[in-house]
Amino acid sequence: MTLLLLFLLTPGIFWDGAPATADVLKQAGITKIAVPAAMESEWKGQSGISVEAVDISSRTLLKPPAVQMRMNQASASRSPWIDGNGWQFIREPRGGYYYNVEGPSAALAAAEAFVFGGDAPVQPDTLVQTDAGGLPALGEMLAFLGRIEPSDLPPRVNIGYIDDGSAESGELLNLMVRKNLLFKLVTTPDPSLDLNVRFGSDEFLKGDTSDPSRLAQSVRARLTDDKRLFRVYGSDTVVGRLMGDEKRARLYLLNYSSGRRSGFGIRVRVLGRYKNHTGAVSGLDNPGIREYVVTDNATEFTIPEMGILAVIDLSGGR
Amino acid sequence: MNRRNFLHVAAASPVLARAASNPMPAYRTVTPYKAAASPGFPGPYKGQVTRVYGESSIDPESEKVDSDVVRQMISQGMRGMTGDKDERDAWARFFGPHDIIGLKVNCSGAPNVMTNPEIVADIVQNLISIDVPPKQIYIYEKFRSQMDTVRYEQYVPDGVHVVAAEESRGAIVGYDPDVYVETDFFGEEDTRSFMLRIVSETLTKIINLPNMKEHQAAGVTGCLKNISYGHFSNVDRSHRWEKTNTDTYIGTLAAVEPIPSKTVLNIMDGLRGVWHAGPFSREKKFRFFPKQMMFGTDPIAMDRLLIDVIEDKRKAEGAPSVFDRSKEHIRSGREVDPSHNRFIREPGHIKYATRFDLGVYDIGQIKIKRIDV
Repeated sequence: MTLLLLFLLTPGIFWDGAPATADVLKQAGITKIAVPAAMESEWKGQSGISVEAVDISSRTLLKPPAVQMRMNQASASRSPWIDGNGWQFIREPRGGYYYNVEGPSAALAAAEAFVFGGDAPVQPDTLVQTDAGGLPALGEMLAFLGRIEPSDLPPRVNIGYIDDGSAESGELLNLMVRKNLLFKLVTTPDPSLDLNVRFGSDEFLKGDTSDPSRLAQSVRARLTDDKRLFRVYGSDTVVGRLMGDEKRARLYLLNYSSGRRSGFGIRVRVLGRYKNHTGAVSGLDNPGIREYVVTDNATEFTIPEMGILAVIDLSGGR
Repeated sequence: MNRRNFLHVAAASPVLARAASNPMPAYRTVTPYKAAASPGFPGPYKGQVTRVYGESSIDPESEKVDSDVVRQMISQGMRGMTGDKDERDAWARFFGPHDIIGLKVNCSGAPNVMTNPEIVADIVQNLISIDVPPKQIYIYEKFRSQMDTVRYEQYVPDGVHVVAAEESRGAIVGYDPDVYVETDFFGEEDTRSFMLRIVSETLTKIINLPNMKEHQAAGVTGCLKNISYGHFSNVDRSHRWEKTNTDTYIGTLAAVEPIPSKTVLNIMDGLRGVWHAGPFSREKKFRFFPKQMMFGTDPIAMDRLLIDVIEDKRKAEGAPSVFDRSKEHIRSGREVDPSHNRFIREPGHIKYATRFDLGVYDIGQIKIKRIDV
């Protein structure tokens, strides 16, 4: 059975099963669905379920978000590879997207779309498609997202990126997102930012665009880790997005390895001195944020157990 | 307590420049702890090692350990090292009833090679004999999954704690966020290694209990490796491809306070060892039986002797030296051929650690006391 979730702007679900299956949706706490236009009339009038017709054929299909663990040659270390889509939302926020994700990964897909689209001034139109197996986790995630206070904070970035629109440039965008290098797209260098990068330029990338991974490291090196707006310790598979400014901020932390690892936590460093914090972690009643310290120029804290998504609000900044 | 941040090396070089020219990594050590007035390393027996051989300590066929022989070896080792006639006096030189004592075991080769529980049990009994309450004794390692294969709790009295920093792999709450070393080896995202919380916050004294093993990255793994990589998170990132940074990272981590101050005694378990493909022990053919234990306060002197133990065995087996850096001996895959290794080994980490004043490396300056049981 196929399930489509109309996400964010018009939350709802597309369900290609018969109306008799409505109880399955209700058990997952889902009361709005989207359906193919051909099935709209069948679903009209169902008690407790509102219906909207959608067409996904014109939308961009996104990768199922996940972590691929890869053994480095001749190494005891395992290097994780994140399949993520955040860069696409940033590159084309007006796009129409959909995920086709089976099982519990549907929750991660919904969280990813929320992190990279939910607070955007222009919100991508995103659908999450899953099967019945993904429905419970998806329902829980939607309920969690629904409890998050809306925020009007703008994305906080310190890198300007001049994108040439190529596939190679897109991969560099992908890698910068994965490495938590926070950027915005610009058409000309923005002197207010710590770093401006023009893809393929001699100045930063020496004209060699053949190895996006090396290029991403080059961007990181030029920025320097000390200037990175936030850092994550304890994991290579948590990707974040920071909103706000020096006074008030919201940090989204998306755990791509949530399906593989349980009971692990992270240490977070946010550039800026924030006195106060509140937070929420999906799947947990209490985020249990601990060892919150404000250093000379940064704020650090531990999230002892990560769910799929953590949302941390910081305030009282100086 | 005043927070103390210091730089071992000024960290300014870009990631790519480091990768290309392969200089020493830039380490930033953060710890609020200061060195004790009389630190454990190199301690009162600097440059001295007491070496006790027990021919019947273990049966190579069954690998069964003889607890009575082990008891004699520990008694004579402690008395031989200190010169005390009564072993309780020897233990009381290092520990008192108010100490909270950690026994840092090594379980990376478990369940085949690890700090033998018979040794741990006898050490615990000796501590109790000088009025250290069982509840003030902690047997600890990094990973619960490895410890659980040994079952130390079955060998010690009730009340003794058996704890792991990571109850599940990746758990962070067992580490102290205020004590860490930060460095970027290969462009990895997670650049901090945090110290075990039990080391910084709970224990007043540590007994270091390594094995005698070859190590695919470090060359050998003994005292220094056990209290460095064994005390910090996120350390396997120091290896990638054939390159490892164990040469500098082991000593750097071992020198982070309060490790050198609290680690007052080293007892190296050499009843059985690993001469290839360590620190693991998946292949029985790479296990051997030195049938000895080393006692001391100087981890470098003990590790220097360990090099010879491993080198002698490898030479006897026709395997290349751990100092060999030949490209033709580097090969990935499962370690079944002793001619090959995944990494260029770095046994030089022991000599490197002398710069932190942790002990004596020069074999000519090391005083060895041999005892046979």
